[in-house]
Amino acid sequence: MSDMSTGHRYDAGRYEIRVKGRLDSRWTAWFDDMTLTDESDGTTRIHGPVIDQAALHGLLKKLRDIGLPLISVTQVRPDRPALPLIDPR
Amino acid sequence: MVGPLLETKLHVPRRRRALVSRPRLNERLSRGAESALTLVSAPAGFGKTTLLTDWLGTSAVDGWSIAWVSLDERDNDPALFWSYVLAALEVAAPGVGVHARALLQSSPSPIESVLATLLNGLSAASKDVVLVLDDYHVIDAREVQEGMAYLLEHLPPQIQLVIAGRADPSLSLGRLRGRGELVEIRAADLRFTAEEAAAYLNGAMGLQLKAADVAVLEGRTEGWIAALQLAALSMQGREDVPAFIEGFAGDDRFVVDYLAEEVLQRQPEHVRRFLLHTSILSRLNGALCDAVTGQDGGRTMLEALDRANLFLVPLDDRRRWYRYHHLFADVLQAHLLDEQPDELPRLHRRAVDWYEQNGERSEAIDHALAAEDFPRAADLVELALPALHQGKQEATVRRWMEALPDELFAVRPVLSVGYVGAFMATGETDGVETRLLSAERWLDTTEAVGKAPGARAGMVVLDHEEFRRLPGQIAMYRAARALVHGDVAAAMAHARTALDLAGADDHVGRGGPAALLGLAYWTTGDLDAAHRWYADGLASLDKGGYRTDVIGGAVALADIRIAQGRLREAMTTYQRALHRAEGTDPVLRGAADMHVGMSQLFIERDDLAAARHHLLRSQELGEHNGLLQHPYRRRLAAARLQVLDGDPDGALDLLDQAERVYNSDFSPDVRPIPAVRARLWITHRRLDDALDWVRERGLSVDDDLDYVREYEHITLARVLVARGAAESAERPLHEATGLLDRLLRAAEEGQRTGSVIEILVLQAMACQIRGDLPAALSWLERGLTQAEPEGYVRTFVDEGAPMVAVLRVAAAREIAPGYVRRLLAAVDTTRDGGPVHHDLVEALSARELDVLRLLGTDLDGPDIARRLFVSLNTVRTHTKNIYAKLGVNNRRAAVRRAGELELASPPDDRRPLGLAVHDG
Repeated sequence: MSDMSTGHRYDAGRYEIRVKGRLDSRWTAWFDDMTLTDESDGTTRIHGPVIDQAALHGLLKKLRDIGLPLISVTQVRPDRPALPLIDPR
Repeated sequence: MVGPLLETKLHVPRRRRALVSRPRLNERLSRGAESALTLVSAPAGFGKTTLLTDWLGTSAVDGWSIAWVSLDERDNDPALFWSYVLAALEVAAPGVGVHARALLQSSPSPIESVLATLLNGLSAASKDVVLVLDDYHVIDAREVQEGMAYLLEHLPPQIQLVIAGRADPSLSLGRLRGRGELVEIRAADLRFTAEEAAAYLNGAMGLQLKAADVAVLEGRTEGWIAALQLAALSMQGREDVPAFIEGFAGDDRFVVDYLAEEVLQRQPEHVRRFLLHTSILSRLNGALCDAVTGQDGGRTMLEALDRANLFLVPLDDRRRWYRYHHLFADVLQAHLLDEQPDELPRLHRRAVDWYEQNGERSEAIDHALAAEDFPRAADLVELALPALHQGKQEATVRRWMEALPDELFAVRPVLSVGYVGAFMATGETDGVETRLLSAERWLDTTEAVGKAPGARAGMVVLDHEEFRRLPGQIAMYRAARALVHGDVAAAMAHARTALDLAGADDHVGRGGPAALLGLAYWTTGDLDAAHRWYADGLASLDKGGYRTDVIGGAVALADIRIAQGRLREAMTTYQRALHRAEGTDPVLRGAADMHVGMSQLFIERDDLAAARHHLLRSQELGEHNGLLQHPYRRRLAAARLQVLDGDPDGALDLLDQAERVYNSDFSPDVRPIPAVRARLWITHRRLDDALDWVRERGLSVDDDLDYVREYEHITLARVLVARGAAESAERPLHEATGLLDRLLRAAEEGQRTGSVIEILVLQAMACQIRGDLPAALSWLERGLTQAEPEGYVRTFVDEGAPMVAVLRVAAAREIAPGYVRRLLAAVDTTRDGGPVHHDLVEALSARELDVLRLLGTDLDGPDIARRLFVSLNTVRTHTKNIYAKLGVNNRRAAVRRAGELELASPPDDRRPLGLAVHDG
């Protein structure tokens, strides 16, 4: 629909979501083909393109539904350094 | 509804044996009875549902009635959400939701009306009810959340509301917390303590673990119950339990991921496959599982899984329906997506087949969409449309339609027009024409007799009956759209086309466009044609069984009659509709509208007691009994009474309110509220404000006249007459007379006698102010002749001193002597204030008289309540009724009015107020 397409222009981008605990790569498909990377500190970085805010919230809802503790959500702009949106640490 | 409500959603999930008892949490839940809201908010797998079912089995809840709803995503449709809530309450306390349910099913019902009615039912409930809404986190529709906020705000004390979910609901929790009205149980409370973990693992699950091992497990899972459950399942029957614990503790994988893997690995291959394949189902039973897996033995398998505690939740007592624990289902689906992604569409398609064969179209559609089998989904949606429209599930229609790709609509005319219907039902017209055009392209070539629909290559039609009605429906939607946009000519043309296309016995197909045609004629000022067509439309709708629409239609019919100066017929119209509405139990919607209409007519007749009585009656029925126009019309009528009570400021307040809640419901706005306000300014010497209004509206005596602006133009004439009087100026009077001459000709041409009488009265006023008494008398006489048969009073009397002067001369010259005498008598009573209202006293009950007397003292509300041995709420109710009956809106005015009406001192045969029973 026309009003959905407006989301593309303003919010599309890459996001990095960090969760507590290592996550097997089998979850890739469940997270809409985002890339899962294990970090050395026992967290997992879920990253990749997100088409708009609605999609981002859908992703966060999936984390909530399997009880994954959320650590941070960051928008990654190719031309700028990472901008933390939520970072409780 | 598409398919009946799912009973399993109203079932309190069965308590699992082998629970860890948690008295501390149960106690806290019981404390919720004294609070507005009990909230159980924690992530998946924290035992929220288990805790609640356990608590509901304790003695603390003995004697309570339990209403339970397990929510899912579909319940974001407000019609569906509230249907489930009402059904659950019906199970718990039969009868409390009957009226609300009737309202929800009738059209069109704003949710707030349904809820107001429900709250009425609930406050009358004799039993304590606990209403549990489980999995509330799935609700993100704003309309549902707003409805819940309203419900929460007004919930009577005998209802305990419990909301459980994985996210905090969008309700003002901070405020509730501040007021101590919130009982919360959160993740920190739900986590198993070391003792609880031990009781669970060693007691319930029969493992014999050392305290140190329990501590390790508790630490690694952080008391997360689902994880402990998975761990227990992994350890059961295992030889090397210590090795397992050691491995688990030394791993930093996400606990559920790690443990679910453990559990799944230990299942035989066929069980594992069954679990993965059936994980796509939101509910499971044997037959459905067989259909989806393509195997036999689904039922046996489910029973085995249930026995093995493999995260299966039974949904009924007979062990027919189950679901997976949500967390487990998600883990299974992640495995399925990873291992067999290509299987997914096939599994969903099989679910579609099964649900379709079993008549559960709604589930079938969701699976078809999940399979991305859009043509199939579109087929099913098309077939579901009539039931969806009837069930007012417009939100569901739109959700499904929006999931379908645009190109499908291009070849599916019935679906396209169904989409339009869902849009127009909520008053939206954007994008409507595009869809109508795309549907219409298919019609021209397929109309040939004998040629089967669908003969044209590429077109897809499932519902052939609807297809035959499409040309008429398209024309009708166009007529409605044109009317909303003010294009009357187009509205008429389309409505006529729709009528030509409708079959003789297609009542609904005829009724809609005929009524629209009537409204279009009304807009042009051809009242005769307007009444004829509108009545014709209502007759068809009546035959089609649309009772509420027929009752509501009386408002428009009576309006037209009033404009024609046929007040008696207008009264009959209201009375007939009222008779129908009040002839059933519960009273049908629209009765309140009729009372308001009758109140207006009684005001014109100067029977103010009757006018008040009907307004009060409409208030008793409540706003929710009214149709779309009711909120503003009721305020207009109340404002008129306020003016007569000498409270113009109160009246202006009501007009402001009326403007805010205005809804035309497709009727032309022939009495704009700002013009009504301007008239009030004129009579209360705020001529500058009235002149501002004239400028704002760009009104001029040279305007071309058309009916829709007639009321405004007559108001302009009033402004000019008032100005002429105030400034003793000839020019405004002259301008007024010229405008009135033209207005009179137009009104006479259109046979609008109501307008004619008012214009004649104003002409008489202008002449009188100018000092031309003979001319004034002559205008007045013409007015009297037309008005007498219909009993007009206030149209003359409200004009005040100049009119009274002319009437006195008319009386002296014996012009319409009986009628003029009546009019002058009305002037006297109005001036003296008193006598007309006397019969009102009968309407005050003995108790209300008690309260009224105490209102005259210094006692405050709580004191009055104590004095009369009733609750503060009861006092409030009485006070509200007293104000309504006396036509006032505050305590001081009530006392003053009581004085005027001699209610405060004991008159001859009336019960003396001073001797209230409980005094002292």
